[in-house]
Amino acid sequence: MPSHGEVVTIVMVEDDAGHARLIERNIRRAGVNNEIVAFDNGTDALEYLFGGDGSGEMNAHRHLLILLDLNLPDMTGVDILERVKSNPHTKRSPVIVLTTTDDAREIQRCYDLGANVYITKPVDYDAFANAIRQLGLFFSVMQVPETA
Amino acid sequence: MPLSPAAYVRLSAALLALGLAVLAGIVGATVWLADRNQEDFSRLVIARDIRSAATDLLAMIQASETGQRGYLLTGDRSYLAPFERSSGRIADQLDALRAAVGERSAPTVDFGALGGAIERKMSELRETIKLADAGRRADAIAVVETGRGQGVMEQIRDTLVGMIRAAEAEVDSGTIRQRESIGLLRWVTVGGALVILLVAAVGVWLLIRYTRDLGRARAAVEQLNLSLEERVRERTADLGRANEEVQRFAYIVTHDLRSPLVNIMGFTSELEASLEDVNGYLTKLPDGGDPALAEVKRVAAEDLPESIGFIRSSTLKMDGLIKAILKISRDGRRPLKPEPIDLRSMLENALGAVQHQLVENDGASVLDVHVPTIVSDRLSLEQIVGNLLDNAIKYQAADRPLRLVVKAWLATPGRIAIDVQDNGRGIAEKDYERVFELFRRAGTQTKAGEGIGLTHVRTLARNLGGDVTLKSELGVGTTFTVTIPRDLRTALRSSS
Repeated sequence: MPSHGEVVTIVMVEDDAGHARLIERNIRRAGVNNEIVAFDNGTDALEYLFGGDGSGEMNAHRHLLILLDLNLPDMTGVDILERVKSNPHTKRSPVIVLTTTDDAREIQRCYDLGANVYITKPVDYDAFANAIRQLGLFFSVMQVPETA
Repeated sequence: MPLSPAAYVRLSAALLALGLAVLAGIVGATVWLADRNQEDFSRLVIARDIRSAATDLLAMIQASETGQRGYLLTGDRSYLAPFERSSGRIADQLDALRAAVGERSAPTVDFGALGGAIERKMSELRETIKLADAGRRADAIAVVETGRGQGVMEQIRDTLVGMIRAAEAEVDSGTIRQRESIGLLRWVTVGGALVILLVAAVGVWLLIRYTRDLGRARAAVEQLNLSLEERVRERTADLGRANEEVQRFAYIVTHDLRSPLVNIMGFTSELEASLEDVNGYLTKLPDGGDPALAEVKRVAAEDLPESIGFIRSSTLKMDGLIKAILKISRDGRRPLKPEPIDLRSMLENALGAVQHQLVENDGASVLDVHVPTIVSDRLSLEQIVGNLLDNAIKYQAADRPLRLVVKAWLATPGRIAIDVQDNGRGIAEKDYERVFELFRRAGTQTKAGEGIGLTHVRTLARNLGGDVTLKSELGVGTTFTVTIPRDLRTALRSSS
């Protein structure tokens, strides 16, 4: 994944361990070897993204790509999306919403809040694997900017 | 106690009858009294005539006697003037008296005796005057002195005075009777008027009371209507909320069910892929007579793929069901868009869409629309009708061509009804409710289906503020009736 010499870290927020595993496997199969940091709840993910003080400064000058599930046990992914896109340090980091919800209003809302891509997880595994692999291929060509 | 309409009519009729009877009584009494008065009056007139005729007759006879006496005393003929004036008219006067008495029976007067007496008196008078004229005054006076003439005169006077008294008595009694009649008439009139006034007053009172009862009843009905409308509005709102909640629940449940399903299907595929690797290796491995290895090979080649196949097909089926629920819940959550709809052309289009399937089996359809333009959600209505038509075609009877009748009419001023009637295989009465339930189907299953069509129809109809019901006979046919508000906006207003 191009990042002007810096390493892109993929932050995956996904409460379902099985989903997380399937996503990781298929991304790897697409040839993406970047570090994947997985969180199964919103609180830990927020702490990683913005630090203990919530400022996000500790992540300055990093290259982050966020894979976000909307259904989390402690909050909704929309809350995390909102925080990421309103924080000066993380607002340019690409956020890919990857969830089972295909409600039109929910999709609109995520894009309104600044989500870069919204993908609905197909139940059919072939389609699922295919989608994730294509996402992996997409990762390999996309530019991820440095956080401010 | 409020007056019932029947009681009011009976009472009014009775009062009217009473008033008419009193009026008739007054008229009858008046006529009768007038008759009586008339009769009294004519009797009075007769009595007066008798009195005056009798008085005149007596006066004439007395005048004649007075003239005779004066002449006999003085010998002067000028004294005879009253005699000459009266004597010629006495016979006429007697006739007049007789005519006045007429045929009246009482008091009986013997006119023969009276006439005889008068004749005897007059002949005595004439005889004495003739004697005096002949110069025999002494003889004439001798005739007078016999007292004969005086006796006759007494008899005449008695008779006539009797008649006069009787007539006078009759006049008196007639006057009294007349006064009585007038008094009676006054009482009858005044009393009758009072009764009529009373009847009228009671009638007016009844009318006022009845009108007031009617007014109160109408107010009560209006109040009841108002609260009924309010209750209907509340119930509609409750239903709408409940529907919404069920749909939200369905949405969440299906959504949460899909997550584990992704895992099951995902890892099943991973397992399959891994199994292929294992199988690939195992088939290359020579078994060398080891029965355990042969068994492992068989399990890997047959049992494991079979198990994985069942997991996969069951998961796919489950996914199908979840998708169906999602579809229903999504349709339920879709915002309704009220717009004017020409129901006839909409139904024509819907029938046109199934025309091909219909004629394939010699089927025919009849469309009968009697509704004005309605305002509703086009997509929902199209899905409702489409589903019902699809069902009719899908479940037609095998032994006869399908006859489809689609009818639409104004059920009430505010609601329209659409009938989709077929002559298909029908639904048993115990299954009437079941066919509307999700994933439930009825009868012999010869056609593929998920069992969501009618659930969908019912959800859509209820979203439009309506409902769907069915009438059916097994082996004869089914009629689905969809009722929806003519104007969706009013239904939406009352549920919001």
